[in-house]
Amino acid sequence: MSKNTRMLFSNDASRFFLPWISLAMVFIAVLVLAAAVISYTSINAWNKSLSGSLTVQIPTYTDDGTPKGEILKTQIETTLTILRSSDGIMGASVLSDEQMNNLMAPWIGDKADLSALPLPKLIDVTIEAGKIPDLNQIQADLKEQVPDARLDSHRIWLKNLIDMGHGMIQLMLLLIVLLLGTLAITVIYATRTSLSVHKPVIALVHMIGAGDGYVALQYARRSLKLTLSGSLIGFMLTLPVMWVIKTFVTSLSPDFIISFSLTFEQWLILAMVPILVSILAFITAYKTVIAYLRRFL
Amino acid sequence: MLEKNKLTSAVAEFNGVSMRYETGPEILKDIQFSLSPGSFHFMTGESGAGKTSLLSLLYLDNLPTRGRVRLFGHAVDTLSRSARARIRRQIGVVFQDFRLLDHLNAFDNVALPLRIAGVREVEIRRHVTELLAWVGLEKQLKTFPPALSGGEKQRVAIARAVINRPQLLLADEPTGNVDDAMAKRLLYLFLELNKLGTTVVIATHNQNLIKHFGFPQLHLEKGHLTLIQPSNKYAEMANKLFNRGDNA
Repeated sequence: MSKNTRMLFSNDASRFFLPWISLAMVFIAVLVLAAAVISYTSINAWNKSLSGSLTVQIPTYTDDGTPKGEILKTQIETTLTILRSSDGIMGASVLSDEQMNNLMAPWIGDKADLSALPLPKLIDVTIEAGKIPDLNQIQADLKEQVPDARLDSHRIWLKNLIDMGHGMIQLMLLLIVLLLGTLAITVIYATRTSLSVHKPVIALVHMIGAGDGYVALQYARRSLKLTLSGSLIGFMLTLPVMWVIKTFVTSLSPDFIISFSLTFEQWLILAMVPILVSILAFITAYKTVIAYLRRFL
Repeated sequence: MLEKNKLTSAVAEFNGVSMRYETGPEILKDIQFSLSPGSFHFMTGESGAGKTSLLSLLYLDNLPTRGRVRLFGHAVDTLSRSARARIRRQIGVVFQDFRLLDHLNAFDNVALPLRIAGVREVEIRRHVTELLAWVGLEKQLKTFPPALSGGEKQRVAIARAVINRPQLLLADEPTGNVDDAMAKRLLYLFLELNKLGTTVVIATHNQNLIKHFGFPQLHLEKGHLTLIQPSNKYAEMANKLFNRGDNA
């Protein structure tokens, strides 16, 4: 802040009002934004774990314990047709007896006769990279046409979680928009309120022959400094809070559920909040003073 | 640009000027006068006669409702905001209520016009210290206005008005709050400046001062302006007193 600015505007109550307001608002905004960013990252990670492959099981025996026989073949054909016609699925194939043997070997040894066991038929589904098939739709189709086929259920659960997560993110974005709107209005209002204290000074400086731009710039610099100090502290205060939440949540559940590490770009987005708030205060102060000066000749 | 006009035209020129606030009655009616460079006038008239309004036209706080005001050769109604700001920097005003900034000490109050003009701190220090010493406030440089007496505030206000060597100095009842002796001392300050070429207009009720100094009066009565020349006796006295016989 230049010597002139320090000279012109006294250290009145507004000197504390602006920093405190911006501190509180930036603190809340950064935390919500961080929550949104973390949710987004986590959901992306979940999405990745969804891709790859999944399996469909078809029991070879009916509920009362009799072999299905011919029906099994039809059921397998129908299931394959449903899977292959679904968007995002690259291929589906029935695991051969040999593949089944390999799968079961760790438990029952490679000499066991699998045909003596009531093992279900397994269909291996390959998912197209980067795509998530509509698992709910596939499950509904299967239930209708092959009632006892079972789609890998943890994936369905994860898919539903992701859908919910997307909803949450939209909600958080809405919250951030509301928060930033409130923040903007608060900064504008706080700047104007503090201006009312300094009106006599501004009027006098105008009378002495200072140009509009000069007066507005002096005042805007002061607002920028006050808001920047408050919002930077508000931003700093979110760091220990985020650390405590991270430690707490990670101790509750293993960290594959929520990814707490932020990338450099994501930190940059968070750091933009205090800077944007300060710029907003600067512009508001400048425009408010110009508008006020227009009342004078 | 303004410097060039200084020599060729009147400092202020009023042509058929009338003024009213909003929809109120006319405060000033058909005012016609001009101030030549280096002149010294008292402005007289009863309270409510329009003195403050006329001064506000001179220091560019208002525009006339009718007629035209020219300052330093410029029709003020046609000027841009920044051009008006430049003109204000050539005008020093001593307000009736001083309008000092209470959070700045005497030095910084007086330095304000120089800081706005972007003068270097070294020069500000030299000029302000010099001027405040000249008005007898060398010991009050660091004193804040609330701790100054009425007379001291008055002198700080005057110092602020003249620090920039204005072409035009306006003072609204600058002696309203001080005794006669102090009033005369303050008037001598204005005279010193006037000798250096500043055009001066002082609004006052103080008949003793007017008689003592004998300068022409811009007399306002119910919004009408008349110019009263001093009687010879007072004019001679004034000329003798200030050794101005050769150029009056």
